[in-house]
Amino acid sequence: MPIVTINDQKFEFDSGETIIQVAERNGIDIPHYCWHPRLSVSGNCRMCLVEVEKMPKLVIACSTLAMDGMVVHVNSLKAIAGREHVMEFLLINHPLDCPICDEAGECKLQDYAYAHGTGESRFIEQKNQKPKRVKLGPYVMFDAERCIACSLCIRFSAEIAKEDQFTFVQRGDRVTIETFPGKEFDNPYSLNVVDICPVGALTNRDFRFKARVWDMSDTKSICPGCSRGCNIDIWVRNNEILRLTPRFNEAVNDYWMCDHGRINCFKFVNADDRIDSPMIKKAGTHVSSVGWDEAISKTVSTIKRFKSDEIAVIGSPFAIVEDNYLLAKFARQVLHTKNIDFIKHINPADQDDILIREDKTPNSLGAKLAGISPRNGGLNFEQIMEGIKGKKIRCLILIEDDVAAISQDFLDSLSNLDSFIVFATNNNKSTELADIIFPSATYAEKNGTFVNFQGRIQRIRPAVMTIDLDRSLDAMSLSRLDKFGTEFDRWGKARKINARSTWRIILQIANSFSMKFNYETSEDIFLEISQTIKEFDGLDYELIGELGIQLKSYQLVEEPILV
Amino acid sequence: MDIVFALIKIVIAVAVLLFMVTYLVYFERKISAWIQDRIGPNRVGWGGLLQSPADVLKLFFKEDIVPRAANKFVHSLAPVISLTIAFITYTVIPIGNDIQLFGYNIKLVVADVDAGILFILAFTSIGVYGITLSGWGSNNKYSLLGGLRSSAQMISYELSMGISVVGVLMLAGSLKISDIINYQSGWMWNAILQPIGFITFVVAAFAETNRLPFDLPEAEPELVGGYHTEYSSLKFAMFFLAEYANMIVASALISALYLGGWNLPFVHDLGLNPTLTILFQITTYFIKILCVLFFFIWVRWSIPRFRYDQLMSLGWKVMLPLSLINLIWVAFLIYVFKI
Amino acid sequence: MSVVKKRRKDLTIFQKLYIPEIVKGMLLTFKHLFGPKFTRQYPEVRYEQPDSYRGRPVLVQENGKERCVACGLCSRVCPALAIEVQAVETEDEKERYPNLFEINMLRCIFCGFCEEVCPEEAIIMSKDYELTFTKYEDAIFGKDKLLVPVESLKGRIEFLRKYR
Repeated sequence: MPIVTINDQKFEFDSGETIIQVAERNGIDIPHYCWHPRLSVSGNCRMCLVEVEKMPKLVIACSTLAMDGMVVHVNSLKAIAGREHVMEFLLINHPLDCPICDEAGECKLQDYAYAHGTGESRFIEQKNQKPKRVKLGPYVMFDAERCIACSLCIRFSAEIAKEDQFTFVQRGDRVTIETFPGKEFDNPYSLNVVDICPVGALTNRDFRFKARVWDMSDTKSICPGCSRGCNIDIWVRNNEILRLTPRFNEAVNDYWMCDHGRINCFKFVNADDRIDSPMIKKAGTHVSSVGWDEAISKTVSTIKRFKSDEIAVIGSPFAIVEDNYLLAKFARQVLHTKNIDFIKHINPADQDDILIREDKTPNSLGAKLAGISPRNGGLNFEQIMEGIKGKKIRCLILIEDDVAAISQDFLDSLSNLDSFIVFATNNNKSTELADIIFPSATYAEKNGTFVNFQGRIQRIRPAVMTIDLDRSLDAMSLSRLDKFGTEFDRWGKARKINARSTWRIILQIANSFSMKFNYETSEDIFLEISQTIKEFDGLDYELIGELGIQLKSYQLVEEPILV
Repeated sequence: MDIVFALIKIVIAVAVLLFMVTYLVYFERKISAWIQDRIGPNRVGWGGLLQSPADVLKLFFKEDIVPRAANKFVHSLAPVISLTIAFITYTVIPIGNDIQLFGYNIKLVVADVDAGILFILAFTSIGVYGITLSGWGSNNKYSLLGGLRSSAQMISYELSMGISVVGVLMLAGSLKISDIINYQSGWMWNAILQPIGFITFVVAAFAETNRLPFDLPEAEPELVGGYHTEYSSLKFAMFFLAEYANMIVASALISALYLGGWNLPFVHDLGLNPTLTILFQITTYFIKILCVLFFFIWVRWSIPRFRYDQLMSLGWKVMLPLSLINLIWVAFLIYVFKI
Repeated sequence: MSVVKKRRKDLTIFQKLYIPEIVKGMLLTFKHLFGPKFTRQYPEVRYEQPDSYRGRPVLVQENGKERCVACGLCSRVCPALAIEVQAVETEDEKERYPNLFEINMLRCIFCGFCEEVCPEEAIIMSKDYELTFTKYEDAIFGKDKLLVPVESLKGRIEFLRKYR
């Protein structure tokens, strides 16, 4: 193997690797703007200048191939001076408006100006005036003055999103970015350029000016938008989710996530239509809030009125593995019903070979593995709906899903039910028809696991407090304000939803049937799953970790589309 | 009839004492302010004269807080002991010779106890229970330390106080305070005859009343509030009043035992009628008490607090030997001059 | 065990008595009984603060608008977490402004870090020190109470420019 020496350390490398790749792999930081491990090398920012012995000039580490016997100095006096000059040139036309700029706090230009800048400007002339606030597309805002012309966004669009939509125009200090005539920067991955933009030139119009990055806490979680299960960070301030960003996971989503996930998969958590307490329909159509105990005892007495084959249970591919497992156990041991299934949400029109999957739920595989499928001649989902129409099924328990929204036919037939018990996070068409509604916690309010389409099991963690959760006691991630705030501070008085994890509600109902289910946390349930279901054999939350783990005995089987 | 007179005297005594305590607080605040180049209370009433009554009124309306872990009974009992003892000792202190009014011979003392001095010494020793119990009953480390210090300090200084008083008793040959005062007529003041005894007694009186430089039971910088850290409202007011009442009793005793009480030299030479003479004497006595009180306050705002070990070594190694020397000196006086 | 330190010079018995020193001290305090008094009768006679005085922080209002661009640095630097800023976008040249700017005056410790860190000279320590509240809500100062016209803060701003 050839050997390159960087900062007096010797590293082996494969031929074809550049200096910056070798350094990155071995944990040596070489400052850079325009280089990205997944994009082609453009070499235009000149920030990664390093000194290579026997080379007459400084070279850029991102496009210089490592060679056997090469001796590289990242922090030699010459290299440092070179970087200082590059910084000075970059800052000549960069506006000093960090107080206004949204990138402040996670800006590479800021960081490197601290580390490699001279601390003052010798430039006394007028700075360049360029258009600010250019709407490049539906989600991305462009500020030309702040752009340092690294071309990361252009390369991302062409190479990862596979759509050429904009490019550089003009030259020299007048260079700027424009969309091609008649085109918009609207590909389904456009917001990733906001992440990779090293300065505040490209900003997320959905998040712009909402919060400073240092005011938020971030929680490692999984996007519930489709069965890809992109790894994400949930950013929360004042108990309100403000944005989602992708989290690097080579096996699932690499550095990216789609705009749909980023824009649409958190707003329902803070929405006004959240169900904020258990509700019971009293006297006709009027639904009113009640306490948990009343709702549970009402549920128990309702269920006791029906024979077991009159009851059907619908699990959910939106719910975590633990919820579905406990629901299946509840149906088996308490309700003694075989009619259990979940609804598949498949949209073959909306998929690509980058990230987006046709299955629009995060956990359909997990729900199936957890035991949500008709057993021994029980009814599947379609047969259940038939049964409701024919009044054979008189009681339906629905977990975190919306049957009524699927078709008008279903909506009409649901009124045949004697009793309709719904666990839901937000108001929807099914909750409008429900007799008893339990408020479920969303994916951002609980611990649990999702199994994605690859058969990879991944963890979600609570990022938003419900009334049952405490940010510090439940080891949720804390922002600075959360850490030092008290109950008397205004930011500590943010809205908390009166909702519980679905498994916790099922547990209480089951124990009201004099069962002895004994789980304190979702991990307790998961440990039981790992002992009883062979696909999960030997797993626990710690093993799943931050990046998830592939279920070993799982083999991917494509099922026919039902809905 | 005696009972009626006794009741009237009690009412007058209590009223006078409360009045004096209230204004003693005012004077202390004024004098301390002047010493520190300030003005002192001047807002409530003319020249701030209503400041102290206003403070007392405020304390009445404050919430009474008893710590949850405190011994409720002892916690409530302690201030009562303190205040009662302070007032009881006042009963045996006369303010003048007998007076003839409406054909009755009225003694200007609430209870003319023969063993007056012993009575006072006995009750001031009980007074330490108020402080010790409050320290213990509050269930607070600062209170407890204050209470402990208080009991140790009281015991140490009571000894030298008692022995100093013996010198006075040897000369007067009586335990009755009026006899002692009358013995000092003219310039035969005990302060002149036995200066060492005077000094030891005054120092011991400072220690007994917990005044600076001996206010270790309170010692704000070290013990928060000392024994009354956990007291509020009326109970705190009782401790507060007791402290100042004790001060008045101590100054009355100092003037009675050493400064000739109501005796003013040459007063008989003026040839006034007996009633006027007695009024003159009472005024004299009060002026002497006021001077001693001023001295109390003056010392408090001039001399810093002792360290605890200094307090103990002063009490046992200096005050006790000095009071014994005084005893020998008085014996010497009696033996040589046959007085 | 305590360490007994020897004095530099042994005291004479006369000095050990401390009585002369006590008398000296008492005479000093006695003298001050009649000395001039320095009390200021506060509500009637007021204190004229120098420009270096740090009273409650205020927001500078210029041309009817706040100078603040809601960068959040004051909030970040505040050691007592007294300041909360939330920004929104505007069409002005400066792209953002605070739609919520609250200082919890129960938390504020008047350290002046917010003033020091402000890149826009938008938050200034005023000379106002008379802060009393009867309700918790009253202690949280919003923009309505914080905005002060720039003219009335001239002295402090000049001081800052000169000495900061």
